Amino acid sequence: MTDTIFALVTSWGALVIFASSFLSCLALPIPTSLMMLSGGAFVAAGDLALWQVIAGAWGGAVLGDQTGYLIGRHGGAPLVERIARTPARRAVLNRARGLVDKRGGLGVFLSTWLFAPLGPWVNFIAGTTGLGWLRFTLWDVLGETIWVTIYVGLGYGFASQIEAVSDILGNAVGLLAGLAVAAAMAIWIRGALKAQKARRAVEP
Amino acid sequence: MFAFLTRIWQAAPVATVILGGALMVSLFFAVRLVAFWIYWADPAHRDQAIEPWMTPGYVAHSWGLPREIAFEALDLPPAPGGPRSLQELAAERGVSVDVLAADLQAAIDAFRATRGDARP
Repeated sequence: MTDTIFALVTSWGALVIFASSFLSCLALPIPTSLMMLSGGAFVAAGDLALWQVIAGAWGGAVLGDQTGYLIGRHGGAPLVERIARTPARRAVLNRARGLVDKRGGLGVFLSTWLFAPLGPWVNFIAGTTGLGWLRFTLWDVLGETIWVTIYVGLGYGFASQIEAVSDILGNAVGLLAGLAVAAAMAIWIRGALKAQKARRAVEP
Repeated sequence: MFAFLTRIWQAAPVATVILGGALMVSLFFAVRLVAFWIYWADPAHRDQAIEPWMTPGYVAHSWGLPREIAFEALDLPPAPGGPRSLQELAAERGVSVDVLAADLQAAIDAFRATRGDARP
């Protein structure tokens, strides 16, 4: 499959990087990181122009994130409103909104590069829970700039080791995303345990 | 351990299931990470053989051959208008990729030999 990706990048250049970057930000399972690595490698080899690779990857990512955010805002938010009609669900929704309001910017920022596999979902959640557009966009643009720079830069720097870099990086990123979800769940469980204890203290 | 699992399961069942899944996914990637690390640490695996997806420019870069010499070896003009992989070039000329790879390999060997001679 790796060979197919490389072949696509040689035939279509920055265009295929743009398309894959856009689609992967909408949670389609496309190996965009590998595309960016190979794009950087072909820049080093003198086959592609650096600005085209950067513009393709970055433009696709930012547009994809915007699309995900808008889907959440116009599709997700009304749906959640309807689901959250009971007081108990309303309380959960308000808690989620409070959390997004407090930490949402940082969450969007980290999900674009450090925990990239979580990115599309964070975009949907940000749109659904009403994170402000400007705040979302600023953090998102900053994060995507880092993401694109890291991958295209590594592809450029390790052009002759491209397969090794992609194998190691791909699994490291998966590990990080898995650990991030596990940590979030640990925090959730701790909160639930505390709430349970508090309830027990009140009830005789 | 089991008592702890029961306790967190009763407090937050959904989070417990997701936690278990996330830890399994993490373990999966951790194992793969170590496996690939060991594989690529072996210098024998680092030399990239010439493959059909590579462009002449990429082969040149990868093997430390000047770009012009690689293009010359394949009778290509210096600026062929957009990158083309060896596969595409081979199909265009009706030859197999191996023929082009052999031409490039010969150019690499020749270049390395002359460079070796030039050294004092």
